[in-house]
Amino acid sequence: MAVILKAKREVVGQNVLKVDGLPLATGQPKFTLDMDLPGALVGKILYSPYAHAEIVSIDTSEAEKVPGVACILHYGNVPRVPYTTAGQGWPEPSPYDTVLFDKKVRYVGDRVAAVAAETEEAALEALRKIKVEYKVLPAVFTVEEALAPGAPIIHDEEDAEGIYDAKRNIAAAVDVPIGNIEKGFAESDVVVEATCELPYSQHAAMEPHCVIAYFDEDGRLVIRSSTQVPFHIRRVVSRVLGIPIHRIRVVKPRIGGGFGSKQEIILEPVAAALALRTGRPVKMALSREEVFVSTRTIHPAKVRVKLGAKKDGTLHAIELEAILNTGAYGAHGGTTLYNVGSKALPLYNKARNLRFHGKAVYTNLPVAGAYRGYGANQGFFGLEIAMDMLAEKLGMDPIELRLRNHIRTGETSPIFEKLGEGREGKPQVIRSCALEECLRIGAERIGWYEKRRNPRRKGPWAYGVGLACAMQGSGITGVDMAAATLIMNEDGSFRLLVGATDLGTGSDTVLAQIAAEVLGVPVEKISVYSSDTDFTPFDKGAYASSTTYVSGNAVLKAAEEVKRQILEVASEILEEPAEGLILAGGKVVSERTGREVSLSEVGHRAFYVANQRQIAATASFACPESPPPFAAFFAEVAVDTETGIVRVEKFVVVADCGQPIHPKLAEGQLEGAVVQGIGHALYEEMLFSERGSTVNSTFFDYRIPTVLDVPEIEAILVPSDEPTGPFGAKSIAEVGIDGPVPAISNAIYHAVGVRLTRAPFTPERILAALRTKDKERKG
Amino acid sequence: MRLRGVLRFHWARDVDEALSLLRAYEGKGAILAGGVDLARSARTDIEGLIDITGTGLSYVREDPKGLRIGATTTLSELLFHPLSREYAGGVIAETLRLVAYPALRNVATIGGATVSAHPWADIPTMLVALGAEARWRNEEKEEKASVEELYKTQFRGIFREAILLELVLPHWDGVFVFEKIGRNAGDIALLNVCAGLGLREGKIAWARVAVGARPERGERLPWLEEMLLGKEPDENLWKKAEEEVKERIKVGSDRRASGEWRREVAGVLVRRTLARAAGKAVK
Amino acid sequence: MKIYFELNGRPQYVEVEPGESLLSLLRRLGMKSVKEGCGTGECGVCTVLLDGKPIRSCITFAPKVQGKRVTTLEGLGTLEDPHPLQRAFVEAGAVQCGFCTPGMILTAYALLQENPAPAPYEVREYLVGNLCRCTGYKKIVDAVLLAAKWKREGRWR
Repeated sequence: MAVILKAKREVVGQNVLKVDGLPLATGQPKFTLDMDLPGALVGKILYSPYAHAEIVSIDTSEAEKVPGVACILHYGNVPRVPYTTAGQGWPEPSPYDTVLFDKKVRYVGDRVAAVAAETEEAALEALRKIKVEYKVLPAVFTVEEALAPGAPIIHDEEDAEGIYDAKRNIAAAVDVPIGNIEKGFAESDVVVEATCELPYSQHAAMEPHCVIAYFDEDGRLVIRSSTQVPFHIRRVVSRVLGIPIHRIRVVKPRIGGGFGSKQEIILEPVAAALALRTGRPVKMALSREEVFVSTRTIHPAKVRVKLGAKKDGTLHAIELEAILNTGAYGAHGGTTLYNVGSKALPLYNKARNLRFHGKAVYTNLPVAGAYRGYGANQGFFGLEIAMDMLAEKLGMDPIELRLRNHIRTGETSPIFEKLGEGREGKPQVIRSCALEECLRIGAERIGWYEKRRNPRRKGPWAYGVGLACAMQGSGITGVDMAAATLIMNEDGSFRLLVGATDLGTGSDTVLAQIAAEVLGVPVEKISVYSSDTDFTPFDKGAYASSTTYVSGNAVLKAAEEVKRQILEVASEILEEPAEGLILAGGKVVSERTGREVSLSEVGHRAFYVANQRQIAATASFACPESPPPFAAFFAEVAVDTETGIVRVEKFVVVADCGQPIHPKLAEGQLEGAVVQGIGHALYEEMLFSERGSTVNSTFFDYRIPTVLDVPEIEAILVPSDEPTGPFGAKSIAEVGIDGPVPAISNAIYHAVGVRLTRAPFTPERILAALRTKDKERKG
Repeated sequence: MRLRGVLRFHWARDVDEALSLLRAYEGKGAILAGGVDLARSARTDIEGLIDITGTGLSYVREDPKGLRIGATTTLSELLFHPLSREYAGGVIAETLRLVAYPALRNVATIGGATVSAHPWADIPTMLVALGAEARWRNEEKEEKASVEELYKTQFRGIFREAILLELVLPHWDGVFVFEKIGRNAGDIALLNVCAGLGLREGKIAWARVAVGARPERGERLPWLEEMLLGKEPDENLWKKAEEEVKERIKVGSDRRASGEWRREVAGVLVRRTLARAAGKAVK
Repeated sequence: MKIYFELNGRPQYVEVEPGESLLSLLRRLGMKSVKEGCGTGECGVCTVLLDGKPIRSCITFAPKVQGKRVTTLEGLGTLEDPHPLQRAFVEAGAVQCGFCTPGMILTAYALLQENPAPAPYEVREYLVGNLCRCTGYKKIVDAVLLAAKWKREGRWR
């Protein structure tokens, strides 16, 4: 992490055209399934119709007779290798509780078998003809049922590793006390408590999960996948199928959105196994219904927050308890659980007495995984509603309460050290924080003080404003590593090869800007190639808000080394020391003489003329700390007191992501995350039948926000300068989803005086709450 | 998407040809207009698709009986037709703008919506409130009935052997309005209401109110309509209508909303639609 | 069965299955901009223009385009010569993952043909059936309004 002084910048901070923008806007065939592979088989999966069952027998004889069927895989004919589908760094903190195909199914949608056939029709017919005899087991659909004594044990297999307490269905647990929590509450003047519940919801990226697996002309396995984690796929497929890592290549083309759903290794081992068994290319594309039923979801959570404060509003004690439903498998369970505390608690570091405890619990429902926010949104849902309650009880403005307690530059929180990635963390000092400014600007833009004092009322519509704050991280401290390779062409252009996985965020552009800034060239001179395990260096992948910070720092280091090499060649040409040379505007200029040499001359000389060598560098960056971005969220809502309908009228989000490398892309991250959060607040919820099957598995019935649902959104960036970030940058991808749910709940409370703690805040729930309040008032 | 098992696709030139093709398939043929529902279905029993969009049933006309809308008229064609904009205070446009989204309205037909008659759908509620008449033909004869009566029969059976020709929306001396509540924009209704009334000498001369998606298909509330007759339109009356609806309306629960919520909100929507219709009628 | 239609201005005489979707046919013909996001007409990423009007290719039977004009994003502009709407989407920051972009641009194109000066609300009403999970829609609406402005300035027709 080089220290670069704030100076006039040519590329960083500019809204350059997104490097893949025009190819995408003209519909170039850049996505996984846009490649036609002659002779490819179609892979399809047979899903469990039961929430919990043993497979007594499986008979594929009729299915095999279907013309065109090439291969059928099930527990009886594949190796049994426990692994986790969580695409995390090795060794994964998630339990190894998954195998390719098991003798037992644990949710409706668990995979039972896979078929590869010449056509989709043949594959589907074969699926229908596979005879499976199940012994149905009792199932549990809530964490309470799962934790009850005598509950069926979901993971009773002997070879699972890393489960906290399999017999009690606990995938992971945590209990971290700091100070003395009981004493802390006893010493507090005011104590409030809130319990909030976030239900099952799904990422709903527009592109369903898909993959193509084939063996190339050298007999190496190629996996072309819509994924956020190509290098983790390579490692896991190698483990599961016993193919050496050097015989596997994973290619990530453009991805149609991920939000965490593609940080999960679901289809790749299956497609690879089918390709391996048949020797043929295999294409797998999930339908939307399959995405809903069989892939991953948010971690549903019950979060209880108890706050104790002094009369002046200073927090003295915070207890945060999180019970997550991790579904049938524990992927990301423990790490999401830890994140609830590690992201939410440091924000208000004035409290000396803390306790964070919780569990990630198995149930026989779909598998929860990584979802943008990753526990932080669960934590802030509870925390920020509790803060609103506390402000009310203290008779203090909610902004004032935050200002009194939030973490500032130069400060720390003991939580950083106590809570890491499913284990202990590392101490960290905040080096940049503009939350105070974010709150000030947001309050002004929403008209906070006026609207808080004089809430509007128009017929049945009651208006209110509410706020929430949040922070996230930038990568995972002590775990994440990214590398970048920068190679110069002889004409003075460059190739930037990164394992960083642009999933639509624009990270290719951001990384190109960082390189271009250092090299003094426009972004057009940098061709970015991202994520091909054969051709790009390692990168952990796109998750944990890591790319701009972690991968960006790797690019910065590589670019500086390349710059050094360029100056070295230039100094040979100009016959003066490199120290007096400046690289800018596509050329090297001598400060002393004003003589200059173009990058093309430098390139040609290095390639062909004298002292020949390739100007290139590979650099790595391992995340020593994880500077948090901060954000303040302000919602204005209108509540129809007769029907319970909530309209979000205006939403202001003000965020500190350090120095934004590409402001427009950063705003886009905030706007997109806020709208997802509005969906979570108002209508998104997966529903299950009594037997545990997902009943709203289409966009017809699982509603996500449309353009007409979006209020006026103002996304404002307040720059701070993060000294450890590339050009002062921190992350921005996730923090925007942490605030909408509590901010909207708080605004509803301001409008109509009812506290909504169970998302989504549907008309039905709001009307019921209003009626209860009416009764209480009368009673 | 691929409808499995389909062997042939026919472009019927007229209704007679479509009907004879339908008979020839002996239950394995399907009439196709916009095709929206059929394409989304998982049916595997259809061998022949019979497209009727070229049979001359796409039109909107007016005559003394009312507004005549050909069955294959798309929702977009109807929405933007000058005649429908003027009809009954503009209720057709008011309703159709809330049905799905433009790309679907460009292919979905009024006939398809009438025959599919999903319980949550908006168009049936509107047609029932408006007293629309449906005309259809099977191989033997042409028949007609009010949409309201039709929905009380096993109408799906009728259209296995018949083709809906047109809908006739009677003229009304008054105004209809439509409202719905969905989970978000573009959603189906959790509840919808179409209400209309006519005023004579400051009193309600006629009233029609249909409430749908509760969760069953839209039906009128005759007891409410009767109560309104001859009364002066004012806030108290609407309030009384609301109370009456909350008391008497039949509602149910589904995964989208509970009966309890539907009961209360149906009253609210009826009050609001009546008040709005009366306001428009006075103008 | 064989059908005849015009695809991006070029005649096509092709074999289709009677129950096949237009989406399947178009992708077979190499029109990879036409995406599948839900298969039930709800998301809009498969949107194409039929005689200039947006429709959902995933729930349209392929034979239905017999004798008609189909436009996909490939027919609007190219990488070398992009359509102003395509440029507007890039300039406004309306493209994140790009999966919804083809359907969005085609729908916006149809809107601007019908209504060259739409109010922001009219843009939103027209695009209501096209889902995007990345952008929050703000910059998509900006892009359409930008392209509309360019159109009114005579930079395209």
